[in-house]
Amino acid sequence: MSATLGVLIQMALRNLVVHRVKTGVVGLIMFFGTFLVVSGTAMLDSIRGSMEKSITSSLSGDIQVYSSEAEDALALFGSMGMSTPDIGEIDEFKPLRETLLEVEGVKAVVPMGIAMATVFGGTEIDRVLSDLRVATRDADAEGTAMRVEQLVQIAERMRKDVAMAAKASSEPEKTQDQLASLDRVLAPGFGADLAADPSGTLDWLDNKVAPIAADGRMLYLRNIGTNLDTFPQTFDRFRLVDGELVPPGQRGILLSKAFYEKQAKNFVARELDKIKKSLDQGKTIAEDAVVSELVARTATQYQRIQFQLSPKDAVIVTERLRTKLGRTDGDLAALLQEFLKMDDANFADRYAWFYQEIAPRVRLYEIPVGEEVTLRSFTKSGYIRAVNVKVYGTFEFSGLETSDLAGANNLVDMMTFRSLYGKMTDDQLDELADIKASSGVKQVSRDNAEDALFGGGGSLEAETTTAGAGFDEFAGLTLGAAATAGALDTTQYTTAQMEDGLALTAAVVLDEGGDVPAAIERIEAAAKAKGLAVQAVGWETASGIVGQIVMVLQVVLYTAIFIIFLVALVIINNTMVMATMERTTEIGTMRAIGAQRPFVIVLFLVETMVLGAIAGGLGAGAGALFITWLNHVGVPAVADALVLLFAGPRLYPVFTSGNLAFGMGSILAISALSTLYPSVLAARVLPVVAMQAKE
Amino acid sequence: MKMPSKLALLAWFAVGTAGALASLPAIPVAYAAPAAAELVKMLQTVDDRARNSGDYKSLVYIEQKEKDKSDLVYQAVVYRRDETDKLVIMFLKPQSEAGKGYLRVDKNLFMYDPSVGRWERRTERERIGGTDSQRADFDESRLAEEYTPTFVAEEALGKYKVNHIKLTAKEGIDVSYPVVELWLDQGTTNVLKRQDFALSGRLMRTTYYPEYMKQYSPSKKADVYTPKEIRIFDEVEKGNTTTIVMQSVDLNSLDDSIFTKAWLESKSR
Repeated sequence: MSATLGVLIQMALRNLVVHRVKTGVVGLIMFFGTFLVVSGTAMLDSIRGSMEKSITSSLSGDIQVYSSEAEDALALFGSMGMSTPDIGEIDEFKPLRETLLEVEGVKAVVPMGIAMATVFGGTEIDRVLSDLRVATRDADAEGTAMRVEQLVQIAERMRKDVAMAAKASSEPEKTQDQLASLDRVLAPGFGADLAADPSGTLDWLDNKVAPIAADGRMLYLRNIGTNLDTFPQTFDRFRLVDGELVPPGQRGILLSKAFYEKQAKNFVARELDKIKKSLDQGKTIAEDAVVSELVARTATQYQRIQFQLSPKDAVIVTERLRTKLGRTDGDLAALLQEFLKMDDANFADRYAWFYQEIAPRVRLYEIPVGEEVTLRSFTKSGYIRAVNVKVYGTFEFSGLETSDLAGANNLVDMMTFRSLYGKMTDDQLDELADIKASSGVKQVSRDNAEDALFGGGGSLEAETTTAGAGFDEFAGLTLGAAATAGALDTTQYTTAQMEDGLALTAAVVLDEGGDVPAAIERIEAAAKAKGLAVQAVGWETASGIVGQIVMVLQVVLYTAIFIIFLVALVIINNTMVMATMERTTEIGTMRAIGAQRPFVIVLFLVETMVLGAIAGGLGAGAGALFITWLNHVGVPAVADALVLLFAGPRLYPVFTSGNLAFGMGSILAISALSTLYPSVLAARVLPVVAMQAKE
Repeated sequence: MKMPSKLALLAWFAVGTAGALASLPAIPVAYAAPAAAELVKMLQTVDDRARNSGDYKSLVYIEQKEKDKSDLVYQAVVYRRDETDKLVIMFLKPQSEAGKGYLRVDKNLFMYDPSVGRWERRTERERIGGTDSQRADFDESRLAEEYTPTFVAEEALGKYKVNHIKLTAKEGIDVSYPVVELWLDQGTTNVLKRQDFALSGRLMRTTYYPEYMKQYSPSKKADVYTPKEIRIFDEVEKGNTTTIVMQSVDLNSLDDSIFTKAWLESKSR
């Protein structure tokens, strides 16, 4: 048997050498096919591995458990859709936590919830007026004086701008009104006006002076509610960057560093950071149109610096800018504009100077660490809820610092999450039903609204009533119930209060090396046994958009492999059929001297398999070498999503014996499959054909 | 052959003429499109009928229905001083919303939330309490001041004959929608239907005013007409509807302090 195999291999090798062209073409296809399978699967496995690291150790845990009544799939990093997904609710987290902790292999369970919120980033004058309102309300003379001084400084600068703009204004009356309003603030008697009628004067400032400034902007925050005491220990990629952790039992928010730097930062500073990033990537202001446009745009935004400097700092910055720019005169606005018109030669120096001299003197972040912020959300019930929380610090996930996706979520305590989520209690729902019932409103559908409302033809006007004694709108009402007058909730909550109660998901962390699919089965069985209506999904499914990216990559890779193998199959098949025709005499002769049909079939199969083994082996080797080289140099994460997929700015892929075995196995299977028909064809050649051919 | 008599010929002629006339399509009596000045006058009438020279207070019920969501309901009180363009909307019910409100002074709209003790400046397009209603739905009608009308057609709306007119916002005036179409009842000049369009021409909302309240105002010394019910259908998020019902209206004068931030703050303390 082995002697026969030896003969077959010898003959196969001889034939491969004799038919060099055929061998070359088929071998090349086999080489590339195996190369692609080995390097592609190695890359995918590496990405999957790194992504697992970045996702499980930053936010999701190994498994996410959420309501089985969810209408949408869980997407921790956001989904492709625009609307907020409905992932159901876990009304009581405690029984779920206790059940999960009893499951074999479960190391930790962390409650989570997702709530969107907005922060209104008002203008500088809005902020000063808001503070002034509080100071006058609290009869804080010192605070009032300080805010008035700030207000006067802002009004002075605004007056200069309005006066300048008035020259080209198409609405002279409007500009005259604005100048008159600003003049009133700048007049010596303004402080006395405020003292005499604080409320009226403040309203006048809100309505007449504040609108002169540019509009404020809205910040959108995606918040993950969780147990902030255990989160940093459970997710080891968590790293506090600025400030401090939220004290145990307290309400608070930790902002993602990426959000903080890219959205909450002063516009000019943010644009300068962007320019620096572009220059670090090798672009230049002179040659890159986008960067040059960015510089030009930044220079026009000088007021975002100018209006934020206190009177004292404005003087200091003006003097220092004069020295820096070598000027003997020029006001702050002109100097700032000149300073911000940067070029490749002076950018690095001015960027550093900006952060050294200007940044410490302005409000660098719209919601600074240490300050209180009002988060406002449209709750699931549709009502708007607002809550004041302190910004304790910023955080990032190690290795994922530059990823916007990883930095898309901010962290809030569970109590704040519940306020923003706004689930209604049964009492509240009953109250709504009562209000609705007492309204007597009839339902009209959009489709037949006109017939229902105007089809009757009666009078369009109700009975005349006279203006009588009126009505008391406040009878029987208590309005102050929800009011906190802006005070922060400083209640010391217990762990039980924070954890037990409403949550949307439970992040489950398994023991080191835990088998996720097996643990999911155990979790679902345990939950079912306890009558808990939940479902468990692995980190890949739970991650949403990120998991979808890997799925897309997988589909693309396997489609490419399938196409290449299909082409290989057709080409090998055709080549072998042609070879069979060419070798009719040879086969006939072999048959004439006693070779049986199975011998011919096996001969052809071995011939292709030997070629498959050699070309595939070379392809697999090349693939392995390629991955080793990539492991050495690293694959840069050129897009933001890749940073999360690569678990850092570069991916260092590795190959495994599994990748090699899969590559070789696939190519040998394709070889055998593609040779089946030609070898059967060859086996049908009769010895007489060889004889006739000789004649 | 006997010749037909003159009388028979006349009868044939009459029947034939009548038949020919009956077979002709009905020729409509042309409706004379109102001139531009007349249209402006029409808008002024709409505004005048709704305007009260003194103060205005109403208790309103607001209900918002959204697809796949539970209904949003409020009871609110609206205070207006049209003379100085001031407006306050304050929510009274449900309890969790009580004390929240809006204040409009001149062209500024502010929102107050007692749970955080903060005021925020809002835009004209603010969705009042998260519903499809906007500030203008509760405020004085200023159509003639804000828009330029053009005539579209005379139409029927249910059993009512209406004038369909198109309004385009005047330059430099900040309105919620730059283009509005109105269907005015020919008998009363009441607005029965309104459609709001975005600048792109996209239909945003359709609103119906099926009934008006007529109330004598001592300060105006005339009747004031207020929509008793407003039904707003969202044309972007199909299926979303807002219904506003004026439960009570009071035209007595109001205290000056109501139209201040301090007053709204004080009500929740």
